[in-house]
Amino acid sequence: MRVGIVGCGKIADGHAEQLRAIGRAQLVAACDREPLMAEQFSQRWGGLAQYADMAEMVLRERLDVVHVATPPDSHVALACSALEMGCHVFVEKPFALDGEGARRILDCANAVGRRVSVNYLYNFESPALELGRLLADGALGEVVHVETCYGYNLAGDYGIAVMSDPAHWVHRLPGKLFHNVIDHVLAKVVPMLSEPVVVCADARRMRPASGDAVVDAMPDELRLLLKDRDGRTVSAMVGSHARPIGHAMKVYGTRDTVELDYAARTLVRSARQDQPSAVGRLFPAWVQAWRYARCGVRNLGAFGRHEFHYFQCMRVLLTRFYDAIEGRGEDPVPQAEILRVAAIIDGIVDALAQRP
Amino acid sequence: MKVLLTGAGGFLGRCVADSLLAAGIDDLRLHFRGDPPHGLLEDLGRRHPGARIEASAANLLYARDLPALVAGVECIVHAAAGMRGSAADMFANTVVGTRNLLDAAAGAGVRRVVMVGSFSVYRTESLPRGAVHDESVPIEDVGIEKGAYAHAKTRQEHLLAEYRGRYGFETIVLRPGVIYGPGGGAFSSRVGIRAMGVFFSLGRGAELPLTFVENCADAVAQATLNGVDGRAYNVVDDELPSCSQYLRGYQARVGRLRVLAVPYWLFLLGSRWLVRYNRVSKGQLPAVFTPYVVRSMYRPFRHSNAALKALGWRQRVPTQDGLARTFEALAGKPP
Repeated sequence: MRVGIVGCGKIADGHAEQLRAIGRAQLVAACDREPLMAEQFSQRWGGLAQYADMAEMVLRERLDVVHVATPPDSHVALACSALEMGCHVFVEKPFALDGEGARRILDCANAVGRRVSVNYLYNFESPALELGRLLADGALGEVVHVETCYGYNLAGDYGIAVMSDPAHWVHRLPGKLFHNVIDHVLAKVVPMLSEPVVVCADARRMRPASGDAVVDAMPDELRLLLKDRDGRTVSAMVGSHARPIGHAMKVYGTRDTVELDYAARTLVRSARQDQPSAVGRLFPAWVQAWRYARCGVRNLGAFGRHEFHYFQCMRVLLTRFYDAIEGRGEDPVPQAEILRVAAIIDGIVDALAQRP
Repeated sequence: MKVLLTGAGGFLGRCVADSLLAAGIDDLRLHFRGDPPHGLLEDLGRRHPGARIEASAANLLYARDLPALVAGVECIVHAAAGMRGSAADMFANTVVGTRNLLDAAAGAGVRRVVMVGSFSVYRTESLPRGAVHDESVPIEDVGIEKGAYAHAKTRQEHLLAEYRGRYGFETIVLRPGVIYGPGGGAFSSRVGIRAMGVFFSLGRGAELPLTFVENCADAVAQATLNGVDGRAYNVVDDELPSCSQYLRGYQARVGRLRVLAVPYWLFLLGSRWLVRYNRVSKGQLPAVFTPYVVRSMYRPFRHSNAALKALGWRQRVPTQDGLARTFEALAGKPP
């Protein structure tokens, strides 16, 4: 399969690296409306053909797959265009700006009979895959509640770019900074929720004012409470100020509770007090230490097998996407989940807009 | 002559502003990406009361903002560049920003462009050990083998040459070695890297091409006024220490480090292993050190600032004083 990438910014490198690693398709072309950006990407990835127009790239290079790694407000137009030209499409998150846009892309894919997927990569991290197995086996019982946190470092390279540039595309998103990262939270919890989901959201800016109205309009702390038809709840903290920057989830089930750390790639069952009295409080720390040690050994094994890349999760996701294209499996992210994530984002944007 | 200085809020840019004014530029427009650093304009105004100093905010990535930035300017001193971030970010902030600036400069009839480049553009891989590294060393064609920063700075230089040919600008390039001073970083990767609680000393006996930030700024100012059109100038100070001497000075005056000295042959061997591992593991560890990088940056060369001195540049801050001031500032910083 011949693949092209449109959008030659930072995340395009992640796509290119994992595409090369899975070896299922050949990256042949890069497109960016800024020719210098297409040039630099092409040079760093071994002399790809360079384009400033996606349609021209698709036609001339006879592409089978297009990866869309542009800012989110261009996703619908680019994805639909590539699909209509007969390509399968892999879209960077957020899939679209809203539910309507997400529906348009999926309808287009279904109409032309092409595969489309989205980079919900963290659902393919090793602890997330293990959680999926536990849920499928019923090991946790019924899910009662989910707690999750996702930290974002505004002092990091990307944060500085956003903070120092009022014209950055993040400021144009309806949900601003959170719109760009909330998929990482919602994609993980949506499979555990029934419909409809009630959304309660609050956000604020915790950092001092910069004096720039556009930058200062961007909140940096978000709290979410989701409740599904069956009373299951999710509480989420998305923010920039808590240290260390966390990326974790705790799933409370009627049989068992598990704690996932996406950054450390660990999943452990929560401590259980099985012994009476003070003795009962003596054991759990050792039991937990043993469980974490087993995670560490497992991670070492994955490292030794070269399955521990920083974007290993994306590698798994892309492998499954290309499997689906070749008719060897289902879509790695079901279309229904993409739509539900988009609908909840719409709900968050509405809730934040209605704040006093 | 009205001069525009880009990147005036940066580590080097702040000093260049002062050096330009001290050298006699009396009409200076300072470019900042956002607000000027607190007190900078007031301080420059106090030190140079007769000069006209104005501030202009613009993001060089947005071409539409740049005609106003360059309006009325005869000479641009271009010190802005992307120093951090992903490869794409660094390239955009360095190369796309420069292209936009040069387009605007061409439209505004700017006569002279003085650009702050980098040592990283030099093709030193084929230079013999102990050779003199001066401006006669050719620069890379692409520079990609030496990492994202070198790639961006190399493309920036080639871009300037293209625009010189197209629009007839007078162009001068300054290529500083390692710019250091209070407010800067502690260690160039030429000295070594910190990892897992250990400082891996990599440069060891190789001469460290330092230039104190104020000396470097003076060089930029001198080249702005007197530099020869079409020339490049290396910017290094006199009495350069070796990487090991710098490290010992740091340990004596800033803080102790657990140092592991890596011999050159072992470093080269390790880089070969790293490239192989990167390939076999499909990128599990990045090949940040390749044999090309090691041969280019970690062999001993001698450095010359003769061309700069021929312009009239003199080292204002002696190296010993520069090191003392830098270490003192680093010692006062939280670890």
